[in-house]
Amino acid sequence: MAMRRGVPRLVPPRRAPGGGRSVPRSLRFGASRLLVALQRVSATLEQATDAEIAAWAALVGLTAGEGLGFNRAFLLLADGDQLTGWLAVGPRDRAEAAVVWADLRHRPADPFARLAAVDPAVIAAERARHAATLERLGFAGPEACNTAHRAFIGRSQHPNPCVRHWVAVLESEALAVFPMLEPGRVGGVVLADNFVTRAVVSPARLEAGATIVHALHGALERTRLLRRLQDEHRRRLVAEHSTALLEAARTLAHDVKNPLAVAGGVARELLSSPETYREVLPRQLGVIASAIGRAEHRLATLVEELASRTETVAAVPLDVGPVIGRVVDAFRPLAETGRVEVAVIRPPGPAVAIADPMLLERCVENLLGNCLQTLCETGTPEPAVRVAVVPGETHVAVEVANNGPPLPPALRDDPFAGGVTTHRAGSGLGLLSVRRLAESMGGHVICEDDPSGWVRFVLRLRRAP
Amino acid sequence: MSKPCLLFVDDEEELLNLYRSAFSREGYEVLTAADLASARDLLAGTEVAAVVLDIKLAEGSGLELLREIKAGRPHLPVVLSTAFARYQDDFSSWLADAYVVKSSDLAELKATVQRCLGPTP
Repeated sequence: MAMRRGVPRLVPPRRAPGGGRSVPRSLRFGASRLLVALQRVSATLEQATDAEIAAWAALVGLTAGEGLGFNRAFLLLADGDQLTGWLAVGPRDRAEAAVVWADLRHRPADPFARLAAVDPAVIAAERARHAATLERLGFAGPEACNTAHRAFIGRSQHPNPCVRHWVAVLESEALAVFPMLEPGRVGGVVLADNFVTRAVVSPARLEAGATIVHALHGALERTRLLRRLQDEHRRRLVAEHSTALLEAARTLAHDVKNPLAVAGGVARELLSSPETYREVLPRQLGVIASAIGRAEHRLATLVEELASRTETVAAVPLDVGPVIGRVVDAFRPLAETGRVEVAVIRPPGPAVAIADPMLLERCVENLLGNCLQTLCETGTPEPAVRVAVVPGETHVAVEVANNGPPLPPALRDDPFAGGVTTHRAGSGLGLLSVRRLAESMGGHVICEDDPSGWVRFVLRLRRAP
Repeated sequence: MSKPCLLFVDDEEELLNLYRSAFSREGYEVLTAADLASARDLLAGTEVAAVVLDIKLAEGSGLELLREIKAGRPHLPVVLSTAFARYQDDFSSWLADAYVVKSSDLAELKATVQRCLGPTP
């Protein structure tokens, strides 16, 4: 089996597979170690804004030797009227376990160090490796599983058909079942066992597992809510854009097509009956020329408006500070979820710039959201964002800085060019949008190195006279 | 036999002149209105055979007049003639007897009016 990089320690090898060699006392499972593991996994789950990250953290917590030490763990989630295998961690069989654990003994690493910043490719590879088992674990009619409210150990004779099915698929002698109950249904279930070591699952470990799964359930609920909010936001923007485009099309049709219809129609009339119009020919030619002139003028205006989008920009003298305050306040719940410290630095007096309040809000939303997402996805220690309003002689600057990693090479040359994203499910258009909005207000945006090593975006707006 | 009377409603004055020339030569009596108020006055005082109505007017929407006409005189044919084809998606426009997208070629409009009125005058 090809070994995967970044895969955490899978099991506390109290006894190496095949028996015989025991592991050092320092690696053995203990109450304090269990507590530390619970704290570290719970911290990751509390901050997780991505379902895969949350699921990965929980399953690693269950299987890592430094965690609960199960040999393997599976997550099944309710999908319509069935429970579907979603993610798994651990070896698939004894032979694989021997290889993986031997490898991990030679490459000791802290499996919890980068739980929140795990490479999505690692999760995808683990899911693909277990795809066949995950598919077989699926169970139609999850209401049949809605009988247990606490974690328990299931065996082949268990009265619940779900449990018998899972025990059979996994050929497990003692399967720890951690249900994730929602009102009236099972939202999901985590299964774990010691199919290689056959270690007995103690009540303490079962309870600790239930704690992790409970935290996972909360994290999954939160990520679903965040996803819904993001989808809603995206739909609103699309609707706004569609409305604006429709209005532009209507205007184009009315203001340009009408005079062209006049010019063409009159010309056709002249051609169809030249004798009738002989006496009024100069006037009719004048009508044609005038109509074409109007169409040309209106088309030029519309093109200019579309290009610069100035028609929709109501740039007015505006005290930037309160606008920034509103945006930051709106983002505080998300920042708190990710344990990101957000500081706002405002001048004592007003900082009045020429700006459109709505577009300015959107620019700062984009920059701030970008920073928070980066910090949460990269697992930056002590993550922090600083938003500052800095009045200058000719400009008012809005600085949004974060202490996350520097921009990746693909973004360094021109972060605002668009088409490159470092975020999961990112469009790569956020910073491009900021540039366009800034320019439509007569300002500009840059990214510069902060002396403290932070990544700093600076939006400069014209200072009001 | 009197000529059928057509009422054209459009805020584009030169377009109304064009309609007047083109449809007069086709044998129709032509009335024109550049706004909704003028159109309402003409409809109240004249027996028109059909109305050719623009939707986007300088002051108001032709769809408003369409609803009024169909409420009071449901059998009076109304042809919507507009530069923007997508107004057909508006439910209100479905009250009209026909929908023509404006063009410098009046052939389609002429044919549509004729179809709404029946035999050639």
